[in-house]
Amino acid sequence: MDLDQLLEISNQCIHSEPPVCVASCPVHMDVIAFVSEVEKGNFSGAYKMMESKIPLSRLIGKICDHPCEKACVRSHAGGSIRIGELEKSVVTFGYSAPKKPLLLPKNKGNIAVIGGGLSGCVAAIELDKKGYKVALFEKSNRLGGRLWEYVSKGLEAREIEEELGMIEQKGIAVHYGVEVLEEDLPRYLETYDAIYLGARTWSKSYTVDPHSFQSEISALFIGGGIQNPNALMIESASSGKRAAVSIDRYITQSSMLASREREGVFETKLHYATDQVAPLASVPLSASIYSQDEAAAEASRCLKCQCDACIKACVHMQRFSITPDSYIRSICHNERIVLGTRRANLMINSCTECGLCKAVCPVGIGMADIIHATRESMVKRNKMPLSAHDFALKDMAFSQSDYFSLVRKQPSKEASKDLFYYPMIAFSAYARGLYKGSGKTGYLFYPGCQLSSTHTDYIGSIYKHLVGVIKEKDAMSDVGLFLGCCGAPADWAGRGDLMHDNVEKIRQTWEAEGRPTFILACSSCASTFAKYLPMIQTVSLWEIFDTYGLPEVDIKKGKRELCIHDACAIRDNPKIHESIRNIVKTLGYSVQELEYSKEKTKCCGYGGLVACANPEQAEEFAADRICESDPDVLVYCAMCKDMLVKGNKRAYHILDIIYANEINQETPQKMPTLSDRQNNRKRLKRQLLKEIWNEEEEGAMDPTYDFALHISDEITALMEKRFILLGDVEKVVANSLSHQERFFNPKSSDYLARLRIQNVTYWVRYEESGRDITVKDAYMHRMEVVEG
Amino acid sequence: MNEHIDTTTEWVCDKCRQALVSQKVKVRYLDGNFEVDLLKCPTCQMVFISDELAMGKMLEVEKGLEDK
Repeated sequence: MDLDQLLEISNQCIHSEPPVCVASCPVHMDVIAFVSEVEKGNFSGAYKMMESKIPLSRLIGKICDHPCEKACVRSHAGGSIRIGELEKSVVTFGYSAPKKPLLLPKNKGNIAVIGGGLSGCVAAIELDKKGYKVALFEKSNRLGGRLWEYVSKGLEAREIEEELGMIEQKGIAVHYGVEVLEEDLPRYLETYDAIYLGARTWSKSYTVDPHSFQSEISALFIGGGIQNPNALMIESASSGKRAAVSIDRYITQSSMLASREREGVFETKLHYATDQVAPLASVPLSASIYSQDEAAAEASRCLKCQCDACIKACVHMQRFSITPDSYIRSICHNERIVLGTRRANLMINSCTECGLCKAVCPVGIGMADIIHATRESMVKRNKMPLSAHDFALKDMAFSQSDYFSLVRKQPSKEASKDLFYYPMIAFSAYARGLYKGSGKTGYLFYPGCQLSSTHTDYIGSIYKHLVGVIKEKDAMSDVGLFLGCCGAPADWAGRGDLMHDNVEKIRQTWEAEGRPTFILACSSCASTFAKYLPMIQTVSLWEIFDTYGLPEVDIKKGKRELCIHDACAIRDNPKIHESIRNIVKTLGYSVQELEYSKEKTKCCGYGGLVACANPEQAEEFAADRICESDPDVLVYCAMCKDMLVKGNKRAYHILDIIYANEINQETPQKMPTLSDRQNNRKRLKRQLLKEIWNEEEEGAMDPTYDFALHISDEITALMEKRFILLGDVEKVVANSLSHQERFFNPKSSDYLARLRIQNVTYWVRYEESGRDITVKDAYMHRMEVVEG
Repeated sequence: MNEHIDTTTEWVCDKCRQALVSQKVKVRYLDGNFEVDLLKCPTCQMVFISDELAMGKMLEVEKGLEDK
């Protein structure tokens, strides 16, 4: 993993990018922090915010031309925030006289400031703060220049005198009535280490660097009126402040321009969208300035512009309270740890890799690819927590084993001849399809492992329907069947090795079958095929249904409203979105679109194996999605249905409505357990082989036990939570009975047994009554206990 | 794994009909090797682990080792 490249991406994140008001303020006042204090009624706190950025803030605060207001994005939604008026109120209600300045030794150098106007005063104050001995030369008998034009126009003479009086109190030597001319400059340059020239007029023009204010005479810095005679007051103040920074860098011999690209007014990358913002008018002034309450009300209109589109959309980022830029930095840190705890592991394994952050990001940063690369890197370096994905990977291995995996061509014409009789051949499109068997597999129906686990009984009917409708239109293309797992769990777990093997097997099957088009029913399969098997042409089952027709079932004209939860894995596949909506409408339902739908859909929480690695996070994803919808939800991914139903939301898979199997509104929906899922896959293979291919599965693979297990709903729920399968419990009990390897509790008459299966030790506490075994507890540990 | 582990129990070894005794037992996971006092059958050496221990302290240590 190229961590430097990753950090480059984090630098593009605009979460920390300042709002346009700050970027358009020559001194970058933190407007959001300022208005937040005003909103809270903390005027002294707000004044401190002004003071930290605005020189002579007591004065400037009252007369600033507030370029920020012109830029304010609220202007399109009721009018700009009246920041200028807020500043006036804050100076009035929040100003307190500064403490007497501490006179620190001024030993960094001697600086002359020529011109006691606003920029000169600001430069003198800033240089004094930095530890320079400053001499300020003013040709008139008072400091402040243009500030005096504001007397009775926003300022009082007393305020100006008090504020500027501080300059001398700080220890700055002010020389009144001294007019420095061009011919005097050489003498000043000899006497002082550097000069700031802030006079309004000057007889000679110099070339001045617009960023550093340095002239061709390296010790001479020029700002204020000479540089920009029409400058706003805040711009003059800014130039004095920035020149002081340059003089300090010049004296300390540091880089004149490094890290100063964004001084003064700059263009922010943050473009805050206001199209969703309800307009709200400015609070009118009831007197010459806002009262405290009026100011707080006006401040509350501020949108506090910040890019947080991804955080708003993602409960994972919310849970870990993280932004993409800090997320990437945490990943880099986690990757670099040699010895010590990798604290970001859980976070990295709690991302669903759903891609929503990228879909909503204005600069297109997405965490999915980054998280995927990180997980692969963790696996390669043997740093991936074993328990995070162990169950899912074992379940995937089950799907790939002979228990489920199956490839069959369409039953041949010869093998199906028993079906070719009247009226069967007239009424069954399936029988007609078989009759047209060409022996060439044009399509392979690939239902995927999860749909087969949870909607087992639809698969055979779908297959028959596909044979019927496809053969009717395309007599040359037979429809075969392929049961297996696309490898999505391995991909999510960062197991590039397993993924590679799995993809290769699918590719070989595709070649062996004559390169048929795969009909995919699972959104994760669709995403996996697009990513790893681009050479294979695929079509979604929903598109086939939409174009070739739906199975003929007794459609109840429900006409209910359903909201569609799109699957995140195919957010970029508008064809599927379209087909699903067409099917739903054809079946007589109306559709309510969710705020986050289609390319901006949210994950149900199953993606990225989060349900395995961090079940609580997965539940939050589901809960977040559920809150969005009022009507029942329609999904087309088996795992989405599972997650939403577990979160107590009534959800239907599109097959439920196609086959008119919406269960009674009153009864709670129930999803199969992890053990049921494996058993359903086994059962599906057996049933299809028998029903469609007239084959008996070779050898009974299921072990048989001479005891009967009884497990309550409560213990079943506990086993689900702990990822313990019924088969594991059976093995523990069987072992304990045959070897008497168990503990006995004479008081309760319970038995407790353990058995290590692969890398996990399972424990079962049970009561034995003849051949009836009642399970009372089941738990596990991965740690190996050495007995003996 | 140094926390106090309950060394009294009603459980007995079913095969050996022996009361369990507390003894040092080796446990290992990933790169971690520990010796802890656990209850075991003095005859057949079968080690007793309770639900609380497995899903509590042991799980915590497992997770800790996985993040190392």
